[in-house]
Amino acid sequence: MSKIRRKFVVPGDLIVRGDYKPVANVYREGNSIYSLKVGLSEIEGRRVRVIPLSGRYAPRVNDVVVGIITDINPYAWTVDINSFFSAFLPATDVFGKRFSPERDDLTSRLKLKDVILAQIISFDRSKDPMLSAQGPRLGPIRGGHLVKISPVKVPRLIGRKGSMTRMIEEATGTRIIIGQNGYVVINGPPEKIPLAIKSIEMVEAEAHLAGLTENIQNFLSKSLGRKIESEKFDGE
Amino acid sequence: MSAAERKHEFVDSLRRRQIIDGLSLGKRTDGRGLTDYRELKMEIGAIVKANGSAMVHLGNTIVLVGVKVNLGTPFPDTPDEGILTVNADVLPIASPYEEPGPPDEDTIELARVVDRGIRESHMIDMSKLAIQPGKKVYSVFIDVTVLDVDGNLFDAVSYAAVAALMTTRFKKAVVKGDEVIQSDKMMEMPVKTIPVSITTAKIGSHTILDPDGIEEAVMDARLTTTFDSANRLCATQKGGEGWFTPEEILRQMDIARVKAKEIRSVIKEAVKNAKKS
Amino acid sequence: MTELIDKNNLRVDGRKLDELRPIKMQVGILKNADGSAYIEWGKNKIIAGVYGPKECHPKHMALPDRALLKCRYHMAPFSVDERKSPQPSRREIELSKIIREALSPAILLEEFPRTAIEIYIEVLQSDGGSRVASITAASAALADAGIPMKDLVVGCAVGKIDGKIVADLSDIEDKEGEVDLPVACMPNLNSVTLLQSDGPLSKEEFKKAFKLALDKCRYVYDIQRKALLEGYLAKTKEA
Repeated sequence: MSKIRRKFVVPGDLIVRGDYKPVANVYREGNSIYSLKVGLSEIEGRRVRVIPLSGRYAPRVNDVVVGIITDINPYAWTVDINSFFSAFLPATDVFGKRFSPERDDLTSRLKLKDVILAQIISFDRSKDPMLSAQGPRLGPIRGGHLVKISPVKVPRLIGRKGSMTRMIEEATGTRIIIGQNGYVVINGPPEKIPLAIKSIEMVEAEAHLAGLTENIQNFLSKSLGRKIESEKFDGE
Repeated sequence: MSAAERKHEFVDSLRRRQIIDGLSLGKRTDGRGLTDYRELKMEIGAIVKANGSAMVHLGNTIVLVGVKVNLGTPFPDTPDEGILTVNADVLPIASPYEEPGPPDEDTIELARVVDRGIRESHMIDMSKLAIQPGKKVYSVFIDVTVLDVDGNLFDAVSYAAVAALMTTRFKKAVVKGDEVIQSDKMMEMPVKTIPVSITTAKIGSHTILDPDGIEEAVMDARLTTTFDSANRLCATQKGGEGWFTPEEILRQMDIARVKAKEIRSVIKEAVKNAKKS
Repeated sequence: MTELIDKNNLRVDGRKLDELRPIKMQVGILKNADGSAYIEWGKNKIIAGVYGPKECHPKHMALPDRALLKCRYHMAPFSVDERKSPQPSRREIELSKIIREALSPAILLEEFPRTAIEIYIEVLQSDGGSRVASITAASAALADAGIPMKDLVVGCAVGKIDGKIVADLSDIEDKEGEVDLPVACMPNLNSVTLLQSDGPLSKEEFKKAFKLALDKCRYVYDIQRKALLEGYLAKTKEA
């Protein structure tokens, strides 16, 4: 595995000169790669990126997001996905091709303030993100506890191949649904929820510190009074 | 709150390309060279009800400035100086992008930049506009009416304001006992220097002088500099969403400094002719 | 007229000709704003907050190819000696525009079509150089909000008082002095994004003053950068 070089950067900082590939939150000017954001720069092989400290959720096609219904018109629901664009869920997605605005009442399926798990099926510069709630696990979320975290911290909450989420789920006996947009829903026995929330908040706060998995593991072990295991990967 | 509003023609991409290609060959769409001004015509004193006035045509841009001199109370921090006020109004007939109403940020900037050019060059000897220090001074209103917009309002308005001030005549006020009254004697504006505003625009890597409407629509940034008769820089204003390198700024100032002399002689000549007639 | 420079070349507040007033900066001080920064520069106390990118209202203002950048520079009524009306003055309207145009070149607005980015600058206490202090704080707030920028924007004013070129005019130096020359730039890109001046300067004087301003921008940049680093560490440590 190639060594990763990290350093703190602000916008305009020169990260590296030479033949490197800009991956995310960086830009190339001539032979040099500069940061676009405050965060940690990472050089992994020839690939250069910055892991940002903050920022709103930028929609991407295929992302699964947790959304909140904020408006309803005869043809679609407007959905808050914690981004700079509202998403929309067309009525035909829920009612099918035979949807008729005269006959079908959208509120019979999803009401204002309802929470859904949906996938972004289209989005580009000229139109708002379109959602679909058809697919495995997708659809209304009828119970649980909604927590909002910074979207830039979502990868750390998921962890390697989902390891962080699994560790928290197994230790606390809860189920965690994570939207790529930073909205997270926790399901489980009410008495288990607070510890899960606390763990998630801790991941968000310490996302940029080294030894995050270990810190969360220790926190959970201490809180529960038993040793919690974390998954081991090659090279760790 | 300030936000970029489009106040000019919607320029298609072919036209922009054509403008930039032309500039690379040293030619502008109207045939001018990069540092040429459009024809500058001045009509001085047309508004006889004003104490001074000047209409300026800079290409298709038309502006009219009237000066009125009133009696006023000095500001507490400058008790022995007159008062100078510049107001601008871009008329709704002047452009399809203007609407009636209070001045927007562009118009306010225009008035303030023209004000700065006059004030900071010390064009007017403000101490000579005091009548009774701390109590009564002359209050000079420079009101700008923009009639037709085709770029470079900053310079056109500045030339009109300067020419109007140079030809302003007003009733001399005298102190009689405790009162200040206007006499029948006329007095001229105490002018010390002739400020000249020069505006340059950056389009791609090119620098041009006196941008017209279409050039302003495609420019990256603008630099307005005002020079006094001794060719000192007296006021600067960078505008537009773009930037300049320090070298570009120094180069622009050198070009502008030379051009200011040229324009100053045009203004002087126009004022001389106006005073003769 | 007040003497602004004494025979030892020291200024009214004891500074050397090229010395700046003390600057303190802090990033991430507001909870609700997406990004925020606070700056103390001499007696200036200025807070900057950024919202966005967000949906653009009113919708007809939205631009199809990039974000609409909005900026408000506002002075609190108690920020100056004489109470200032809370209504925006002509000066505040001009500064809102000029500050927006100073920050705009750094931001990748084209990444967020149809959205708006809002910058709010509130001058709680005003001193000389409030516009360059505002730009420095606002740029840090934009970075704090995670908005992609090609470089930070940083400002510093220089001027001429008692016939000499000096850095960073205070209130009294601005009022009594001959020239004020505020500059803002993107230090890593060699780009000037704000330049204003008032008062007569010879060609040589301008050159000298301009160079001094750019040098001092570098100095302020280091403070700004450090504040962002500290903000970053604070954010990642609080639990």
